[in-house]
Amino acid sequence: MPLFFPQEDASDVRRRYKPDVIKGDMDSIRREVLEFYASLGTEIVDKSHDQDTTDLHKCVTYIRDSASGLDKSNLCILVVGALGGRFDHEMGNLNVICRFSYMRIVLLSNDSLIHLLPRTYCHEIHIQTSVEGPHCGLIPIGTPSKSSTTTGLQWDLNNTAMEFGGLVSTSNIVKEEKVTVQSDCDLLWTISIKKL
Amino acid sequence: MDLMHHSSTFLLPTIPLHHRPSLTYALVVLNQTLPRFAPLLWKHAQLRLCADGGANRVFDEMPLLFPEEDASDVRRRYKPDVINGDMDSIRKEVLDFYRSLLCILVAGALGGRYDHEMGNLNVLYCFSSLRIVLLSDDSLIYLLPRTHHHEIHIQTSVEGPHCGLIPIGVPSRSSTTTGLQWNLNNTEMRFGGLISSSNIVVGEKVTVQSDTDLLWTISIKKL
Repeated sequence: MPLFFPQEDASDVRRRYKPDVIKGDMDSIRREVLEFYASLGTEIVDKSHDQDTTDLHKCVTYIRDSASGLDKSNLCILVVGALGGRFDHEMGNLNVICRFSYMRIVLLSNDSLIHLLPRTYCHEIHIQTSVEGPHCGLIPIGTPSKSSTTTGLQWDLNNTAMEFGGLVSTSNIVKEEKVTVQSDCDLLWTISIKKL
Repeated sequence: MDLMHHSSTFLLPTIPLHHRPSLTYALVVLNQTLPRFAPLLWKHAQLRLCADGGANRVFDEMPLLFPEEDASDVRRRYKPDVINGDMDSIRKEVLDFYRSLLCILVAGALGGRYDHEMGNLNVLYCFSSLRIVLLSDDSLIYLLPRTHHHEIHIQTSVEGPHCGLIPIGVPSRSSTTTGLQWNLNNTEMRFGGLISSSNIVVGEKVTVQSDTDLLWTISIKKL
């Protein structure tokens, strides 16, 4: 965070950008970092005994079950740092958004954002053209899709089958400010983030 | 007018070091009986190409020029860099043999735009009969096709211990492994359920068998 505000004092920036919660198995966080935030009042939830779930999984369950003072009626969880790095971590993080398919969780990198479109809904995606697009894709990550239909894309799907090993919608282009998607399986929606 | 030099040094057992002009040889093998000095030409060439049925000639006839040696060893030693042409003469067994020796290493397929990354992963599934390895700074990934049992020999000086087996695209009803901290035993895997990530390689050999194509990924050590 201090690197984003090079003219400011690093300590001031760190105090301003103080996490509410640090949660996980605690095998990566440096000791000095943990002590710094603990002294500022950040809640530390040590789940090092739970090796069956990823750190992201633990945070999502914390937000879903424990976080008080948060209006959860229309919750959207934004995640940074889930992509790039170790590939098995990245896949583990994708799996978290597939497992929690009833929650809005958006994975963000410098280049792209990803979220799930659960099969139980028709979807309308309102494109924020000042900050995202036009490159996009629809990915049948877990199961083949026998039928997907879209509007608003350069190459729309029309009851089209998609599967790994066959057709997967990548390098598509958003053509309109509203994209609609309907499918018989959960699809990952991904769109590029504009370099500003 | 300039002078041009010629010399058939490519027929000599060794090309003299300071011989001029210093030429780079490429060898093209067409579909006729190999000359008896073909291994010599092969040795001098930096690039060896077979035009279609020329690959049949290398496959069939190189071992005949080394009758005391095992044919497989000779074929591996005299492996063309390129097989080019309309492929209507090359025999299927010959094409399959040379394909099986090929491993395509890919840098730059991961990170960056996510739809690109997914498109690149899909290429592994579309070409499941070819060995293709995607590499980043942190990890390598390749497909384990469901048609085979797999033995993965871990190069512990450069890779591991973090690894994963990912059922992308289709759920797996049954996968079995050995050599991992958390082995699978006829275990089901699917996105939205269990996938094997943050696993650990224990030892130097991992075996995998599954009813679906799985992606194998292992971390690359920071050196």
